[in-house]
Amino acid sequence: MWTYEKRLQFPVNIKNTCPKTASLIISQFGGPDGELAASMRYLSQRYTMPCKEVGGLLTDIGTEELGHLEMICSIIYQLTKNLTIEQAKTAGFDAYYIDHTTALWPMAAGGVPFNACEFQSKGDAITDLVEDLAAEQKARTTYDNLIRMIADPDVREPLKFLRAREVVHFQRFGEALENIKSTLNPKNYYYYNPEFDKQFVKKEM
Amino acid sequence: MIDQKNLLSQITEISFTVNDLNLYLDTHPLDENALNAFKDAMTQRKQLLQTYAENFEPLTMNCICPDSNNKTKSHTKYPDQRHFTWSDGPLPWEGGVF
Repeated sequence: MWTYEKRLQFPVNIKNTCPKTASLIISQFGGPDGELAASMRYLSQRYTMPCKEVGGLLTDIGTEELGHLEMICSIIYQLTKNLTIEQAKTAGFDAYYIDHTTALWPMAAGGVPFNACEFQSKGDAITDLVEDLAAEQKARTTYDNLIRMIADPDVREPLKFLRAREVVHFQRFGEALENIKSTLNPKNYYYYNPEFDKQFVKKEM
Repeated sequence: MIDQKNLLSQITEISFTVNDLNLYLDTHPLDENALNAFKDAMTQRKQLLQTYAENFEPLTMNCICPDSNNKTKSHTKYPDQRHFTWSDGPLPWEGGVF
């Protein structure tokens, strides 16, 4: 169950229209390392996670990612809400405008639509947590690239906040992986799959 | 007169503290310092959400009360009628009050 809180996690208040910037930031909505993939990744993986604490962490980080999705969509919305047709023509936003006007639709900066293949839910605790660690770093790199390219401080401040959260999530997932490994056979972490071979899983997990 | 922007900033800050401590405690559930910090921050957050809802719009479902919300009658279509206050206030993606 979820409830909505009627505020953004970090304020977004952008004064200048810029469809070009919106067309880059949209990757963090529906791109390969975006917030939609992040939330769906963690919220899909949690059901079969054998350790209760790690399932809880996936729920909480997945929930925060939904808040990040809302921030990213707010940035894109505010960058394009006062768009003129002349701005749409000149700033490379024309193709998107034809299909979606100024509505939000999840896709990558390169125009590829959002696809569930952007994330994995593999059913093996080590595999999934290593995927999550890589996902946080890929999202952090994408934010690095955006911050390098974008000059408007109104856009940079929320992006810097989101970048910092990727680093924190990476740290928490690293601790979760160590937690899982502490319950496995230290001589061979890969002796069995802790999400499937239940006869090996210790009771306290 | 309570400054709405300032109050919402305080809620944003304390809620961030709660959220970050929540993730930390997910992986360090016995950390005494973090447990105390979480308890203090959560107490502050609840008080601030209540103060905000009394003066302005409710930010969460739990804060909705048609008889006590939005004393300042800000951002509402029904300033002089008993109404469902969940629809009061600015939309977050419009920048809210910031």
